[in-house]
Amino acid sequence: MLCRVADSLFWMARYIERAENTVRLVDVTLQTLLESEHSNDEVHYAHWKPILSSLGDLALFETLYSEKSNTEIPEFLIFNRENPSSVISCISAARENARMIRDQISSEMWEVINRTYLWLKKQDPEAVCQEADYSFFQHIKEFSQLFQGLVDTTFPHQIGFEFVKIGANIERADKTCRILDAKHYMLQQTEVKDDALDNAQWTAILRGCSAHEAYRRVFVADIEGDNVREFLLRSRDFPRSVLYCLTRVQLAMHAISKCPTSHFSNEAERRLGQLIAKLNYANPSDLNGKEVGKLIESIEEDLGEIAVEISKRYMFSEIVDPAEEADQTQTSTASA
Amino acid sequence: MQIKYDTGPFYDEAFDKQGTPRPHYQNFIERLDELTEAEFNRKREAIDLSFLQQGITFTVYGNQESTERIFPFDMIPRIIPKTEWDHLALGLEQRLKALNLFLNDVYHEQKIIKDGVVPAEVLNSSKHFRKEIMGLDVPRDIYIHICGTDLIRDDDGQYLVLEDNGRCPSGVSYMIENRQAMKRAFPRFFPKAGVRAVLDYPEKLLSALQYIAPNGKRNPTVAVLTPGVYNSAYFEHCFLARQMGVEIVEGRDLMVDSDDCVYMRTTEGLKQVDVLYRRIDDDFIDPEVFRKDSLLGVPGLVRAYKKGNLGLANALGTGVADDKVMYCFVPDMIKYYLGEDAILPNVETWLPYRKADLDYVLENADKLVIKAANEAGGYGMLIGPHATKKEVEEFKAKVKAAPREFIAQTPISLSRHPTYCDEGFGGRHIDLRPYIICGEKTRIIPGGLTRVALKKGSLVVNSSQGGGSKDTWVLNADS
Repeated sequence: MLCRVADSLFWMARYIERAENTVRLVDVTLQTLLESEHSNDEVHYAHWKPILSSLGDLALFETLYSEKSNTEIPEFLIFNRENPSSVISCISAARENARMIRDQISSEMWEVINRTYLWLKKQDPEAVCQEADYSFFQHIKEFSQLFQGLVDTTFPHQIGFEFVKIGANIERADKTCRILDAKHYMLQQTEVKDDALDNAQWTAILRGCSAHEAYRRVFVADIEGDNVREFLLRSRDFPRSVLYCLTRVQLAMHAISKCPTSHFSNEAERRLGQLIAKLNYANPSDLNGKEVGKLIESIEEDLGEIAVEISKRYMFSEIVDPAEEADQTQTSTASA
Repeated sequence: MQIKYDTGPFYDEAFDKQGTPRPHYQNFIERLDELTEAEFNRKREAIDLSFLQQGITFTVYGNQESTERIFPFDMIPRIIPKTEWDHLALGLEQRLKALNLFLNDVYHEQKIIKDGVVPAEVLNSSKHFRKEIMGLDVPRDIYIHICGTDLIRDDDGQYLVLEDNGRCPSGVSYMIENRQAMKRAFPRFFPKAGVRAVLDYPEKLLSALQYIAPNGKRNPTVAVLTPGVYNSAYFEHCFLARQMGVEIVEGRDLMVDSDDCVYMRTTEGLKQVDVLYRRIDDDFIDPEVFRKDSLLGVPGLVRAYKKGNLGLANALGTGVADDKVMYCFVPDMIKYYLGEDAILPNVETWLPYRKADLDYVLENADKLVIKAANEAGGYGMLIGPHATKKEVEEFKAKVKAAPREFIAQTPISLSRHPTYCDEGFGGRHIDLRPYIICGEKTRIIPGGLTRVALKKGSLVVNSSQGGGSKDTWVLNADS
């Protein structure tokens, strides 16, 4: 497989996963705010702020927007093209990547991405954000799920498939970490411990990961921070838990290199094995209290470095400035 | 639905001067009679939607943000009866044969120049004449492997050659997709219509590409070289790669190693490439030899080509035959190399680089079509009778400043064809681009891309300027 193709498969999957996760977060937050008794912009912003921080988007948001109402933030996270991780930017980037390799992916995969992009462009941002349009969020989530289904059922389970799995699962692991991070920011904000609020926040976090029902099946008692963290970080069978995603990435990487998982054949595999061991064998006390912030942060860092190692090993290509390149492709069109 | 409109002073493809359908259109018009307007529109909308969803689009430049559009498709097919097609096929084959002989000659002994048939000054001033490949023997002596000759018809229905497109002719994917769309739209009628197949184009292309593998290598690795996703024809590059089952590569996917062979970068390491179907112009293909600032090409590619380690289709330097000034000499080439008269005539053309022609062109600019000699896609063109005084004057100044860069032709009013437009059916001007593949044998694909100027009265069929397309049916019989 061409390195460039592997790179595009990886990013296509990653961007789609990112769009889905952002929509999930916005949806859950809007739903939670609907339930809150004091609804003014200040309360709302206090609620959004940790989410923006955990996504690393707070500074950009504050430079782009002077108003901080309940409409502006979703608008920023979904429709703003200046925000490179907004849903529309992600889906557009996923589509560009898919377009570059459309001869390599199934036409079903391409068409569902293209259709969703065209649909998204037609949506009215104001209506979606003001009405907290449930069907809009559902549409994007179902798109991502449909896409993953099509990958499973229409795309040969060969090396390209593994790159898709790597992209999706690295992103998913990263986003689960960031949602847990958001709770961390929320903790810092409240001075007095408010059990009801705390409970509502943890519930929102579980729902943000589609994990509420799965969690309930394991932990029947009240929703407790330590349990939620344990579940989202280390569940062996819940597909959005960090450990599960990392294990899936490991399977895919070793399927590509054909090296058994007990060894490693490149730096990416070594780093990943180390990270899995760190999480798997972490002291229970590292998973709660003050230590957990450090652990999550170090997982996020490791994930970033592993992605770099993967790209060094499999996708090495010279960096080309896309703007400059686009300029030339226009002038070099042959006899049309 | 009934087609009824005034055919006017033009040659209409479907109706004679009395308004009676020509025999080869009879069947289709009867089928159309059975359809209600609502049924017709349903079929039409289904086709448009499927084009958009499949992303069968092209990119329009010039606006601030380049935009993707579908190439508008018209459901009324252009139909060509057998005898007429056989004549065209002979003419096209003859022309391509002469062009390939000409290219081989100008890059070797230049006999045609020495014998004074083509003036040396025309050759030496041709932008696309590549001195870099003088004396190089290309595999199987074929230069133009894929040709997309543009044909038009005049008031009397006579076919004329408008240009040869021997560099990287595009549009063949639309020929194939249009056919698929028509088969879906008329699933019961189509099999009975006696239409010759075009869908095997990719297989024919692949075998022509394999034929030029270095040293006759068996099972060579073939790839399509594209400028990338931002190119207006990117959809087509992918489409062909996919249909042929070969890799599509960009310049950055390839490298030329110290052994002067071309390799692609894969996740398993470097893999040698034997033949490239390149859709990048000469200028951009190798920064070591041509434009130094090209990021699209592959440094060293020409080196590998010259060492005989790479087959390239089309060959380097074919643009010299594509030059619109050189076009005027094609009938002379046919005479010179084949000893035959051209079966398909050219459009009457003036060459302003000759003093007498220049005077004529300047005097009659408002009655002529003036074209840049080396532009494509309908850019850089003046249609005198439709232009304002100011536009004509501006163009005259350009021609005066660089006479070699322009040609002038009598406006041909292009045949018209029934087309579904805003006001119902009307006659719209069309042209035809058949595709010719030259490998072990020369194959004329029975069909091609019929482009139609959708704007009423317009003569410009290019997709970038409001053109659309039709499926082209070549029949097994004459009616």
